[in-house]
Amino acid sequence: MTAARATVLRFRPRPRKPAKLVSNGVLGMILFVFVEIMLFAGFISAYAIVKARAPGSVWPPPNQPRLPFERTAINTSALVLSGIVLLIAHRLHEKGRPRVAGLLLVATLLGGAFVALQGVEWIALLAEGLTLTSSTFGSLFYTIIGAHALHAVVAICALGWAAARLRAGRLSKEALSTVAIFWYFVVLVWPFLYFQVYL
Amino acid sequence: MRGVGRVALWTTAGAAAVMLLAFWPEALHACPVCFDRDDEARIAFLATTGLLTLLPLGLVAGVGAWLRKRAGREEEGGRPEDGEGEPRKPGTSGQ
Repeated sequence: MTAARATVLRFRPRPRKPAKLVSNGVLGMILFVFVEIMLFAGFISAYAIVKARAPGSVWPPPNQPRLPFERTAINTSALVLSGIVLLIAHRLHEKGRPRVAGLLLVATLLGGAFVALQGVEWIALLAEGLTLTSSTFGSLFYTIIGAHALHAVVAICALGWAAARLRAGRLSKEALSTVAIFWYFVVLVWPFLYFQVYL
Repeated sequence: MRGVGRVALWTTAGAAAVMLLAFWPEALHACPVCFDRDDEARIAFLATTGLLTLLPLGLVAGVGAWLRKRAGREEEGGRPEDGEGEPRKPGTSGQ
């Protein structure tokens, strides 16, 4: 009984893994941004109610300085422009175009200019007597605008990191999308805060 | 299939129960949305209640619709627009 038993090996290809619709990083950032949107929606709601219940419908309170609506428009323009530049850089990077690191750097610098101008504005407001404890208006102003500034600083750091990695040729599309979503959130939430708080 | 039918029945019954609850509450004098001397304050309470109720639902629905659209495009044979989800080797950023 030396007859060899033939063994038939059937080739069974490994089932193809379906491609992910969204990368983990992007999905995680979207969920995080949802939480942040709700945080700012809560802030805006609190501000709207306190403003609506102000005695005699006088807002800001009589002894408090008025917010520099016109001067802050310059900061707003810088932030919006930064968002537009990042959008262009993001689109170009997705299409595989080289040399978008410069655009990313411009977006980062414009974001930095926004935060710096905000800082200058805060110094002036503090000198005029608007502090965290001076009134409900002051507490709400510094909490809401401060929370936004904190988000802007974190996002600027992330943009700087992305620009550095892009320059080194080690930035994936997913990583840029993740960072960009956060910056778009910082840019898009600002007009709501600006018109609600500064007007 | 029988199990699925039972789940659907319970889900429908639960949804109906929740809808019935909507008819339960009455206007409360301590509720600032229902009563406030100041019209402006009442409107603010009402608007913010609406905003905080509808915003999360809108966000979830929006992302659901976006994912569905992407999945549809994927099924048609096209790749996702921005190539997300594809493994990418380091050093291939287009630089």
